[in-house]
Amino acid sequence: MNSVIHEKYTVAQDDFANAGKASSHIKEHLKEIGVDPQVLRRIAVACYESEINLIIHAYGGDINMDVFDDGSIQLVFKDKGPGIDDIEKAMTPGFSTASEKARSMGFGAGMGLPNIKRVSDEFDIQSSPEGTTITLLFRESK
Amino acid sequence: MRKSAVIYTLDSCVKCLKCVRACPVSALTMNADSRIEIDGEKCLNCARCITTCHSKGLLGQGSTLEDIPNYDYSICMVPPALINVCSTKEEADEMMYAIKQLGFDEVVDISPVYGQIMNEYFNLADHYVEGTMITSFCPVVNRYIQTKYPMLLDNLAPINYPSEIAAKMIREQHKDKGNVGIFHCCECEALLELAKYPYLNEEYETDHALAIVDIFPKIRKHLKENKMKCDYNLQGLQSVNPSMILQKENYLIADGFEKITNILDLAEFDMLKDFKLLYLFACFNGCVGGHLLFGNSYLYRNNVYPLTKNGSSEVTSLPFDDIYSDFISLNAEDKRSFKEKMAFFAKVNEQLEKLPGYDCSACGLQTCRIMAEEIAKGNKTLDHCHILALAKEKENETT
Repeated sequence: MNSVIHEKYTVAQDDFANAGKASSHIKEHLKEIGVDPQVLRRIAVACYESEINLIIHAYGGDINMDVFDDGSIQLVFKDKGPGIDDIEKAMTPGFSTASEKARSMGFGAGMGLPNIKRVSDEFDIQSSPEGTTITLLFRESK
Repeated sequence: MRKSAVIYTLDSCVKCLKCVRACPVSALTMNADSRIEIDGEKCLNCARCITTCHSKGLLGQGSTLEDIPNYDYSICMVPPALINVCSTKEEADEMMYAIKQLGFDEVVDISPVYGQIMNEYFNLADHYVEGTMITSFCPVVNRYIQTKYPMLLDNLAPINYPSEIAAKMIREQHKDKGNVGIFHCCECEALLELAKYPYLNEEYETDHALAIVDIFPKIRKHLKENKMKCDYNLQGLQSVNPSMILQKENYLIADGFEKITNILDLAEFDMLKDFKLLYLFACFNGCVGGHLLFGNSYLYRNNVYPLTKNGSSEVTSLPFDDIYSDFISLNAEDKRSFKEKMAFFAKVNEQLEKLPGYDCSACGLQTCRIMAEEIAKGNKTLDHCHILALAKEKENETT
């Protein structure tokens, strides 16, 4: 499986002003390539949620997108900490550690990670105090 | 081939490229002969190019009244946006009479149809279980979704345009009158398309689409002459006016192109799932802000208040099996394989890196990205970029 298209975006902590910009670029580019709308819808949802997570919960991080030659699309969200204490708890619908500021802006409903997992074809999460890495894979059709 | 309702008038064009840059879907280009070309397959008929132009280089063209004698019986449909121009019930009655004087056998106010459709939107949205329903009053919004937002196609309310439903009803009611001609007074360029003429769109029930600005000078001559009873429907008048539509916790009503773009972008991220209904207008101030409606849309917006004193709020029922219509993707099927698509995308990106990225449109194309696509297709070369040419010239001067 070779990566044909690679794109990297950097997201800063608490940068609410630019929330969703990276996801918008990714969405537009994948539209341009001609990814199936149903698949793209799942990617858009997962990507936006994850980008918001980097802003709200992490000390910022990077988004790496790869389109492979078999048509699958991989998104890797790698942040610089602080890590997730209890991944199992974080994966429970409704559980949230979002700040008041984030909640007042309509984020932090506790559906982030469960939603991301639900819409992606493969989901992997690795976390330590140095940082969390979430790897998502989407295939042409689910 | 679809034709845009926007016509280019070469004579007054000053080649400033403002229209090319204003288009939200990159449908305009300036060709090698310095003429503006409009890609009918892409154009939304949103009229942003027309309103941006300072030299009357573009206009929305409708049918003419000369076609009235071609029919045994001619009927003019008056939309609620035009009634909203009147500030009293008397003015509305005078307007109906004046329109009839243009030579029509009958003038029909179609605001009850609008009112009924709005209620049907509410009804559909409240019972829609698959998320958010997007309404389909505005041909610009629909076409925008049908070409640019494939992910939201399933959310479009499957209801036909009011003018079409009204035309079907009118034709049914007058089937004993011989060859009936149905004319529609249009408040915006996008509505001009929804008729057989002038754009030869045979699939529509309406025969002729008239631009209100074209016929208004003639209407004006007959204003204040006499009255003809206009039983406008209040909900119909409200349905085209974003500030008057039922405000509810889970309804989002928005007008203006920037706003709807923003809303559709968020809807694609599923960020508006708390709303049951997105009621969108491409024009600022809704249909009363239509570009073919002369005058001041802020005043028209508030005319609903005085008109409310005399209007009917009873809504006639429509033949319900005849109001539905599905909206499908308007993009030609891409026959390329995923591999070919990606290879092309990579090739475009490679060319894009070589271009300045100013999106100045000096080459006649809207953005550097479109230029990169044209180079990748082999239609253009980097030499067509004016900025690069300028840089080259400077370099030659110094050496």
